[in-house]
Amino acid sequence: MNDWEEGSGKGEGKEDPPVLPASRFPLPWVTSRAFTPRNLLRHPVRTALALAGIMVTTAMLLDMVLLAGGIERSFEQLLLGRGYQLRISPKGTLPFDTEATIPRAGAIRDLIAADPEVAAVGPMLGGAVYARRGDSLTTLFGYGIDPAAQAIYQVESGADLDAADTTGLLLSEPAARLLGATIGDTVTLAGGLDPQMALAGVERRLVVRGMVRWLYDYRGQPSVGTLLPVMQSLAHARAEDRVSVFVVRVHRDQQAEAVTTRLRQQLPALEVNSVTDLVIRFRERLVYFRQLSYILGVISLGVTVLLVATLMTITVNERLGEIATLRAIGIARGTIVRGVMLEGALLTAIGGALGVGLGVITARFLDRILTSFPGLPAAISFFVPEPLSLLLAAVVLLLTGILAGAYPALVAARAPIAATLRTEAT
Amino acid sequence: MQGAVLMLACVLGQQGVPALEPPSRRAAVPTSIALERRLADRLGVVVGDTLDLGLDPGRLDGRAVVTAIYEPAADPSIITRRELYLRLHLPDLAALLGAPDQVDRFGVGVRPGVRPEEAARELNRVAFGYRAFPSAEIANESSQTFRVVSRFHQAIAIISVVASAVFLLCIMLLKVEERRRDAAVMRFTGISRLTIFTALLLEALLVAALGSVLGVLLALGASAVTNLYYQRFFDTTLVFSVVTGATLRFSVALSLGLGVVAGSLAAWRLVRTSPVMLWGRG
Repeated sequence: MNDWEEGSGKGEGKEDPPVLPASRFPLPWVTSRAFTPRNLLRHPVRTALALAGIMVTTAMLLDMVLLAGGIERSFEQLLLGRGYQLRISPKGTLPFDTEATIPRAGAIRDLIAADPEVAAVGPMLGGAVYARRGDSLTTLFGYGIDPAAQAIYQVESGADLDAADTTGLLLSEPAARLLGATIGDTVTLAGGLDPQMALAGVERRLVVRGMVRWLYDYRGQPSVGTLLPVMQSLAHARAEDRVSVFVVRVHRDQQAEAVTTRLRQQLPALEVNSVTDLVIRFRERLVYFRQLSYILGVISLGVTVLLVATLMTITVNERLGEIATLRAIGIARGTIVRGVMLEGALLTAIGGALGVGLGVITARFLDRILTSFPGLPAAISFFVPEPLSLLLAAVVLLLTGILAGAYPALVAARAPIAATLRTEAT
Repeated sequence: MQGAVLMLACVLGQQGVPALEPPSRRAAVPTSIALERRLADRLGVVVGDTLDLGLDPGRLDGRAVVTAIYEPAADPSIITRRELYLRLHLPDLAALLGAPDQVDRFGVGVRPGVRPEEAARELNRVAFGYRAFPSAEIANESSQTFRVVSRFHQAIAIISVVASAVFLLCIMLLKVEERRRDAAVMRFTGISRLTIFTALLLEALLVAALGSVLGVLLALGASAVTNLYYQRFFDTTLVFSVVTGATLRFSVALSLGLGVVAGSLAAWRLVRTSPVMLWGRG
């Protein structure tokens, strides 16, 4: 077998090519990794375009990785923000998803609290209430809470309500702005409106104790909070002791699922969900975005493969003469293959690094669009970075670049030496 | 208006109707209800079956006979919620809820010549405990979600178009540069630069046109698969992906335009280079 024709790599491992002094050798291409960046600079326009393409596709890939699990992580962080691992709502509903309420809340609270693993139970009632402003009524969202066991607000200024403060009121910033009220002001809340008689069934004069941030409010939602019995009076839910949801904190996180199972058995007429269950339900509703992120992520990788593979194939075809010459002077096939694949990886790595910056900018832009969904809690974010996902994406991208160089590397390695040199000479 | 309020849709699990049980076929004088097709499928009931109905899953003391099964209008605003609906006559629902003579909303038809906005303003002037909205305003509010999704799609589309444009430019540049030796031979044989330029440009245009045709076919296929998948996934007749003529015209024009621009630039560079250089001996 003719080594020149078949390119068996007889000279593999040799340190010094026997012919052609370095000064006369036209373009040492793959004899060292150090030459790879130089090769990329031989066609600056071509390389710049390829890098731009990889940069944009990497930005897209990054955004889709952030989107794929971002909102779930964000939602989970929001739910666990105050350490309550369980939510109990009316059967067939999610917390505050409907206007359905749970009667006989006191008895249910006692039953839940009797579980030895339960550390705290917080009942909450939510619904529309009205504030008097002169002759008109302003519609607000009202929360009835137990300040000792609550998972839905953070005090930003002033004071929290205490357990016996039946005249106290908490305001969100949008509600304060709407009512023109501040800490210490008196606000009249009304409920049980009768349109025919033009009368409010209940009115309570309450003093603003503090400004709070309601964790589940959408942007600009005017919300107020009172003690649960006060809100029950305003909502005509006092007689039946109705609440919208219970939040439950268990002593140990790892016991949350076991407590969920026990409470489901004890309260079959209610919906008992752990945070994990709620995240799954939430994921089902946002399945579209997750699937879209997978599809666009795969397309981004596909475009990267096509771009790198095309560029490298044409580059290799242009350099077949050089490759044949190098093979002729004893450079091993493996060295040539490694060089081509390294060049593809380098191109991907540089384009990918540039794409990260672009991806972060576009992710912020896209997040601003998606978080403007009506009714979405303001604390939710769609694009949340997670180190493991980002690392995985980086590794996949780099492997993609390397694999994209595989075909051109094969072309380079299989180039018949004598025939190629003859063609080049004519 | 009477027709609009006669039947009131309730959401399973809401305060209206939290629980149903599969057919018991007990003899009774039940109220009549209409079930949406998905709910009927899930419960395994047909027209004529009797259901136990109540507000509390532990106390289903009402009875209802299924008098109709209907396919609800495809509504994208509730599709991801996977809620199941049934309809009762208003008095039956009010009795079930223990809330006689109470409704959530009224639909109001105005006389010809009266503007709904003015009627709503007039009603709100004297409103106490309710608020009137023109239907157009409700439609506008309801479509906020879709406007957000639409803006998101547009943003993604811009990124995709930029990526595709760069990709196309790069490919066309490479494609023309691949013809260096052919161009050199043509120059050696006396063919004019203009002829070579035109030939390369036509070739670029042909490649872009073929790519566009394949791209359009791919888009139509992907759109069909998307609709098939999501219609099955959500069990709905909604159309999720529509390839419009405007979209096709824009995509094809962009593809051809970029192909021509990239081909022209690359061909111009090629014909300005000396044939000896193109041959690789310069």
